[in-house]
Amino acid sequence: MSEIVSASDLKKHFMLHRHRPGFIGAIRNLITRERRVIRAVDGVSFAIEQGEFVGYLGPNGAGKSTTIKMLTGLLVPTSGGLLVNGRVPWRERQAHVREIGAVFGQRTTLWWDLPVIDSLELLRHIYHIPADRFRLNLQELRGLLELDTFLSTPVRALSLGERMRADLCAALLHDPTLLFLDEPTIGLDVVAKERIRQFICHINIHHGTTILLTTHDISDVEKLCKRVMIIDRGHLLYDGALEKLHERFGGKRQLIVDFSEDYGEVHVDGAHVTERVGTRVTYHFERGTVTASELIGRLSNRFRIRDLEVREPDIEDTIRRIYEEQLLARG
Amino acid sequence: MRLMLLTYFRLIAADIRSQLGYPVSFMFETAGTGLVISMFFISLALVFERFNTIAGWTLGEVAFLYGLMEMAFGTMDMVFSGFDPQHFGENVRRGGFDKVLLRPQSLTLQVFGSSFVIRRLGRIIQGIVIFIIALSMVEISWTSVKIVYLPVVFISLICFFGGLFIIGSTITFWTVESIEAINILTYGGSEMMSYPMHIYQDWMRRFFTFIVPAIFLNYYPALYFLDKSDLHDLPSFAPFLSPIAGFGVLFLALRFWKFGVRHYQSTGT
Amino acid sequence: MRTLWEVAKLAIQRQLTYRAAALAGLVTNFFFGLLRAAILVALFGTSQEVAGLTIQGAITYTGLTQAVIAYLSFFGWFEVMDSVYSGEIASALLKPMSYFSFWLAQDLGRALVNFVLRGLSIMCLYALVFDIAVPSHSSQWLAVFAALILSWLVSFSWRFLVNLAAFWTPNARGVGRFAFGLSWVLSGFIMPLRLFPEWFVKLCNLTPFPSMINTVVEIYLGVLDSHAVMKALLIQSLWVILLVAAAHLVLQAGTRRLVIQGG
Repeated sequence: MSEIVSASDLKKHFMLHRHRPGFIGAIRNLITRERRVIRAVDGVSFAIEQGEFVGYLGPNGAGKSTTIKMLTGLLVPTSGGLLVNGRVPWRERQAHVREIGAVFGQRTTLWWDLPVIDSLELLRHIYHIPADRFRLNLQELRGLLELDTFLSTPVRALSLGERMRADLCAALLHDPTLLFLDEPTIGLDVVAKERIRQFICHINIHHGTTILLTTHDISDVEKLCKRVMIIDRGHLLYDGALEKLHERFGGKRQLIVDFSEDYGEVHVDGAHVTERVGTRVTYHFERGTVTASELIGRLSNRFRIRDLEVREPDIEDTIRRIYEEQLLARG
Repeated sequence: MRLMLLTYFRLIAADIRSQLGYPVSFMFETAGTGLVISMFFISLALVFERFNTIAGWTLGEVAFLYGLMEMAFGTMDMVFSGFDPQHFGENVRRGGFDKVLLRPQSLTLQVFGSSFVIRRLGRIIQGIVIFIIALSMVEISWTSVKIVYLPVVFISLICFFGGLFIIGSTITFWTVESIEAINILTYGGSEMMSYPMHIYQDWMRRFFTFIVPAIFLNYYPALYFLDKSDLHDLPSFAPFLSPIAGFGVLFLALRFWKFGVRHYQSTGT
Repeated sequence: MRTLWEVAKLAIQRQLTYRAAALAGLVTNFFFGLLRAAILVALFGTSQEVAGLTIQGAITYTGLTQAVIAYLSFFGWFEVMDSVYSGEIASALLKPMSYFSFWLAQDLGRALVNFVLRGLSIMCLYALVFDIAVPSHSSQWLAVFAALILSWLVSFSWRFLVNLAAFWTPNARGVGRFAFGLSWVLSGFIMPLRLFPEWFVKLCNLTPFPSMINTVVEIYLGVLDSHAVMKALLIQSLWVILLVAAAHLVLQAGTRRLVIQGG
């Protein structure tokens, strides 16, 4: 497995000039400029292997989009090293861009007034995709994304879900090795989200396309990514497996038990009862204190259980805790 | 190179298809543009009945300037419409330039290819009509040099204004407010240059001679074609400076454009 | 009535935020004014007066036309058609307020701000640079004032009417540009109308356009005798009545169409 992205001590600082309001302010602005440095990305290092599926999370203003812009070659870093596919993205823009794909939830990469298929044909020429390769890819993507119903419709007339699928097709036609997805499921209904997720997963598994997913939708992350990177205020707070995230920072787990009878006293060591509705009791317990199976064992020794469920803490809670408590100190 | 041209034609074909998707609007606009231009000129012609000359120039001679200007500006407006500062500025503010950076094609080519407003043909056709009227009204003693030089002047005019468009668009990377200033040079400049420039005040004429070399693009060549004398005693090769002025401005504009793109890449939006 | 005044006040506030654009626009206006002045002066040549217009009058004319185009939104006004296309009109029609009056009030606010920031200021610039003509009698000033208000009403009604094309076609912008282009030519904006041949002036007078610009200019410059001034003001008023009536009729037809078709 080779490293497809390697970032070392990546920094991006912006100089913000304060605009003083009013006429006097405008004069003063000419003489002295009040400068403020915004450290959008302040020393971020990571490496991504070919074929990985990485989630990139962070609150608004954390530095997510700045990092992505540097990776795609849109922005030149202030300092630090960055290699994508063995290249420095902004130095070899055209060669770099030929091997990546990008889908932005908010904007389309297609031509607004043209039928989808016309846009795709244009992209074929822009990316110099050989005719047979294009036909093959289009065939596969059409089927997977169910584009046939709206291939001849102009992009402006598409629904959000249709446009997203069209954009995904456009991003993959040229067989990119690395795919950037920025909020791909935003604004979609549950069914549409699921279809898109399945598609992305398929592409990752069957084509080995490396995927970097930026999203606010926690369920996207839970369902798709094995690895997450969490950024806040320009620093990487966490970079590792999703499960370990729970282990290290996760809050309380839940055990929801449906008892066969309405038992009076259902207290058990290692957990507390947080809710009780009829025969259904919800227990909260700490990960380090007791394992789920231990708890289940203890309960089943004393009570008859009809059904049970183990719930992990809300990942959103976990991440919020990380942001708020900054559980990983800088460095 | 050939591949780039092919891509360019494909891009503008796409844009033209978009425009033709609204046929009624397209026809109205083309007709409208043509109408307004010709009405401007007809107004001038009607008013000329009273005055006969403007600073020693007849209607036919003014029509020469006017027609040449309209043909060139209309063509420029069509070819360089991707760089129209108004639209380019709006696009950049909406983050549309990122789309361009993400495609494996030359940035300049993409911007050129992003728009080709064919309804400008209305203006171009009117310009041709006015120019033909001029030729019928004025006795030009054609030489082989003149015949060769005319298209050079035409292209130099296109390059000059195209360069101004590119400069205006590049400035929008920094600020949108400047568009008004550029409009003075482009729309104001083109109107100004449609009349013999010795009618303007000294300071204005000097500005458009030494700072923005507009006078060499239309007026001085016209003096040459119409065999009129120069009132300001510039050297005799002045009428032949149009390609230098035109291509010079375009060249500087493209350098500035490259600089602007680099700036955009280091600061984002 | 009170709501309309509130609407106008809001429009004034909104327009005032565009100060920077107003300043830039002023520079543009001044440049074009100078251009037109140079052209007219060159046309006049050695003549001191042509068709009752002096050189001073001609120069003042170029300043006046620049002043007028800002507050008349002369280069195009597409706000009503934009609101029809965006569907915003639906909520506006639900309000218990005359749609026409609503826009009238807004335009009043906008026109007032532009009149002061662009119109008056360009005349002041002109006064500094040139020796411009200025009305001498107070009765003349009164007539100018009346003409200004009437010209604004004519212009607004015309612009409103043109925008209503949006009810019938999805691309009224093209129609709008065409209609507005027409008004530039026939209103005396390019050249003072009195410099044109008789038959052309007669043609223009069949349209409301001279009432938008030429009337105000001529009354200001004092080239009309008192009888002609009254006649001009009367013609302006008649056009106002005609256009406002037409606007209401067409609006009714349009909204009916909208309700039936469903936008």
